[in-house]
Amino acid sequence: MTGVHDLGGSPGGPIDKSQHEVEDWERLADAVTIVLDKKGLKTTDEHRRAQESLPPEQYEALSYYERWVAATELLLVEKGILTREEIDARAEELAESWGEG
Amino acid sequence: MSDDDHERHDGVGPGAEAGHYARRIRAMEELLIERGVLTKEDVRRQIEYMEARTPANGARLVARAWVDPEFKARLLSDTKAAAMELGIDASGPVEFVVVENTPEVHNLIVCTLCSCYPRAILGRPPDWYKSFNYRSRAVKEPRAVMCEFGFEPPDNVEVVVHDSTADMRYMVLPMRPPGTESLGEEELAELVTRDSLIGVTVPREPARSS
Amino acid sequence: MTAQRFKPGDRVRVRPEEKPGHVRTPGYVRGKEGRVESVLGEFRNPESLAYGDPGLPERPLYKVSFRQEDLWEGYPGPAYDTLYVDIYEHWLEPAREETP
Repeated sequence: MTGVHDLGGSPGGPIDKSQHEVEDWERLADAVTIVLDKKGLKTTDEHRRAQESLPPEQYEALSYYERWVAATELLLVEKGILTREEIDARAEELAESWGEG
Repeated sequence: MSDDDHERHDGVGPGAEAGHYARRIRAMEELLIERGVLTKEDVRRQIEYMEARTPANGARLVARAWVDPEFKARLLSDTKAAAMELGIDASGPVEFVVVENTPEVHNLIVCTLCSCYPRAILGRPPDWYKSFNYRSRAVKEPRAVMCEFGFEPPDNVEVVVHDSTADMRYMVLPMRPPGTESLGEEELAELVTRDSLIGVTVPREPARSS
Repeated sequence: MTAQRFKPGDRVRVRPEEKPGHVRTPGYVRGKEGRVESVLGEFRNPESLAYGDPGLPERPLYKVSFRQEDLWEGYPGPAYDTLYVDIYEHWLEPAREETP
């Protein structure tokens, strides 16, 4: 069944033409995702499917690259390349070292 | 999709939790490097690859096609090979299709399902191209969308929308603006905007000489 | 190489199905009739590639054109505006007989 990502023809508002500065983490998200593709560890199709599988509220709330990060994490865990726990742990360490809550 | 009256970033710009996702991708990168799944160099090279790709590539392809009919034919029939002639490496698994605007037909590109875009030639798409509003409306009311970009194709011009749902990535070959006969290739390329390669508008016209 | 079921000029209908999982046929064309504009080649099936399957055998992909006024009630543009979607063969069937 069509999901929330299947947007063609949905109601929509005026196009916001503003452009946000691409942040370093977004460049990183883009690069890591594509490198994993190039190494044959995942496919574009899996990446799309992973995004589409996000709960609708999440799909709608996350930004473009936030969805990429969520999808890449989902696939890395699904394929047993990393575990969610170790990603959690490392993210926690990074938060502490950056002095974030 | 519901119309929402709360502020929504339309699926593109950094959301409230950007810090959270920034940490997660950095955590993943570190762990993947430690595991030997990829290297810092792999990532650096890929970042460089994307930064090197900009709409200027598309502008050069269009300008060459405007001045050289045989190149134009090659651009339309084998885009990757034609790009390589100009030193633009668009090799990879996706196929490119260049669709030509004519006095009878104006083309518009969208990917309603996820924002596919000819990244290997043009680089990253603009935020608006990835927005939910564009993905929703470009197929249903292309002329209204173009109007928001300041462009109105005449009624007797057929508007053709391409929804890139499969492995093809689309780019528009706009029409050469009138009054450009005396311009060289570089000057022509300067008229070709990224938005005209997507099809929401047409290239700039040359400034009138005083 | 599989024989291609359709050729340019054929009138086709997009199967009006709801299908779970990863699908690249947008909802707005399902059940709609259009015309095959060209055969794009044969490609592996994204619906199974999406789950780590090799997606074989490759299947034909068609560029299908639709009249906008057939897709959207009250389409706010000229009758000859069109929309093209790249659709896999298994989503297409011959259009119903044209009504006089």
